[in-house]
Amino acid sequence: MSGTDERIRQVGLVQSFVARPELGSVFGLAIIVITFMIMTSISGTFSAMWTNPIGIQAWVELAAFVGILAIGASLLMIAGEFDLSIGANIALAGHSFALLLIFGVPVAPAILLTFVELAFLGFIIGVIVVRTGLPSFIVTLGFWFASRGFAVFLSQTLLNQSRLSVKPQLKAPAGGGEDPTIIDNLFAFDKGFGLPFDAEVYYFAILVIMVALMLQKSRFGNWIYAAGGDPTAARAVGVPVNRVKISLFMLSACLACLLGVLTVMTSGASDPKAGDFRELHAIAAAVIGGCALTGGYGSVIGAVLGAFIFAIASRGINFVPFIDNNMFRVMLGLLILGAAFLNQFLRNRVLKG
Amino acid sequence: MAQQTTTPTIQLKGVSKFFGNIIALKDVSFKAHKGQVTALLGDNGAGKSTLIKVLSGVHIPDEGDILIDGIPTTFKTPRDAAVLGIGTVYQDLALQPLMSVTRNFFLGREISKGVFLDMNRMNEITRTEMAKLGIDVADPTQPIGTMSGGQRQTLAIARAIYFGAKVLILDEPTSALGQKQQLEVLRTVNQVREMNEIAIIFITHNDMHARLIGDRYTFLNRGRVLADGDRDEIDMDNLRALMAGGAELAELESEFQNTST
Ligand SMILES: Nc1ncnc2c1ncn2[C@@H]1O[C@H](COP(=O)(O)OP(=O)(O)OP(=O)(O)O)[C@@H](O)[C@H]1O
Ligand SMILES: [Mg+2]
Repeated sequence: MSGTDERIRQVGLVQSFVARPELGSVFGLAIIVITFMIMTSISGTFSAMWTNPIGIQAWVELAAFVGILAIGASLLMIAGEFDLSIGANIALAGHSFALLLIFGVPVAPAILLTFVELAFLGFIIGVIVVRTGLPSFIVTLGFWFASRGFAVFLSQTLLNQSRLSVKPQLKAPAGGGEDPTIIDNLFAFDKGFGLPFDAEVYYFAILVIMVALMLQKSRFGNWIYAAGGDPTAARAVGVPVNRVKISLFMLSACLACLLGVLTVMTSGASDPKAGDFRELHAIAAAVIGGCALTGGYGSVIGAVLGAFIFAIASRGINFVPFIDNNMFRVMLGLLILGAAFLNQFLRNRVLKG
Repeated sequence: MAQQTTTPTIQLKGVSKFFGNIIALKDVSFKAHKGQVTALLGDNGAGKSTLIKVLSGVHIPDEGDILIDGIPTTFKTPRDAAVLGIGTVYQDLALQPLMSVTRNFFLGREISKGVFLDMNRMNEITRTEMAKLGIDVADPTQPIGTMSGGQRQTLAIARAIYFGAKVLILDEPTSALGQKQQLEVLRTVNQVREMNEIAIIFITHNDMHARLIGDRYTFLNRGRVLADGDRDEIDMDNLRALMAGGAELAELESEFQNTST
């Protein structure tokens, strides 16, 4: 068979750059950065936001926090599912971890146990979703109430307090200990090791690289797209759709756990309001980043860019006094709508070729 | 068409399948040879889909035997059948519109190099296998949603063949397509026939297509074999009547003639 065979028909080329799901968020990020650079210049706060280390930390650390959640949210969305419980799970993880510490469990096993607990919770959520066939929106809405409720219930019943301080139990920077262990360093270096950012920024960077590679270049990544695109078709060719979805709910809960633990380690306390609304921010980042709510389409890189858009807009507003804080929410709302609209348009272009 | 003396690649002997009190298949014998298209014809509810589900391991027959290359076999699951070389292309094709041509081709059976997918190798194989069926995929990384219905059908066929199908079952592959794409699929089927290694079972309601592509015909009517034979043994002029279940059409014809006069 060669190209000269007259029976061979050509299949046309698609401009592959249009086909990238993160295209919309690349534009979005450029627009947000330029807008805030101009606005901070006008209000004389340019260097405070863009060159001062504290200013940069403010938005980079927020982007990392939301971005870690958005990694899980985008994978789930690509697989056709949704997790509203991640914010509440941060509080559940934080409280579980703090309670373990208060009851005398050393730091390292307490971290391990908290991860086991949250992984199990993710497993339960996943099993409920695939077994009952209920929309994951509904199932995780249940856990949105239940996780935080359970965390506060436990700490109220056991210790009669809703905010748990663990400063005495920690050698980490938050506890003021003079001889931090490896674990303390790993989970709590607050600008430690001479590095400029909180721990979550480094976890974020590592996770993004690993997950993006997994999604684009591994067979599991292939299965995630297939599970969300057309689950029946995926099953017909032997893709274990249910296992894929359950694993992703577990990953999503573990990412919430990571943030819960990191927050306690660096702040020395677990707050019952920790992670409030973060599920919506993470979902917003995933949507801005090009994930389709219907599944089968999206990218982790896009979600990461979405997290940066969210964080720059969110922190940037503090550097621009002439914009009302409430206007920021209006702006963010329009941004999400605009991004969703653009992404749908691009997706249709992909299919038309 | 000279393989009549050889062993059929797949054969059913006296197969029956009941669903409660419904007799979906009764005492059906059927065979398909490699390098031939066996057209499986019959009216709605005649039992065609049930027959291919027996062949592909979805249904276990209540009576009778399945023989592959003359050896009696039992399938308990579609996997068993797939392992033994039965490739079934269902009408919905089991494809992912937003995923690339290559990723669809290898979905569930990806080739990895270490932990990562070997995309170059998979792209290469996809192009070669599609070219064998007459389609030049310039860019195998493009989403499959950009391909025509006929090309997608070809992809599903190429995939079945690459993963070892020696029996290719096509359940109404042309019914959802426009005229031009129907011909494209027939062309693909013809190309598979020319490979002379695969037995093709082709279900259709279109008598033109059956006439065009069939080497052998099996007509089902209400779960039984109405007629069966090679191209030269079948009364081709009567094809349409046989497809509709034999006598009924003739009866209807005379009925209409009576009312119109
Ligand atoms: N799973 C099942 N349970 C009960 N009855 C069934 C089942 N599958 C098929 N039947 C019945 O068996 C008979 C044959 O059906 P089948 O689907 O094989 O027909 P067909 O020839 O493929 O028809 P069509 O041309 O409409 O696709 C029909 O009466 C159908 O209702
Ligand atoms: Mg049928």
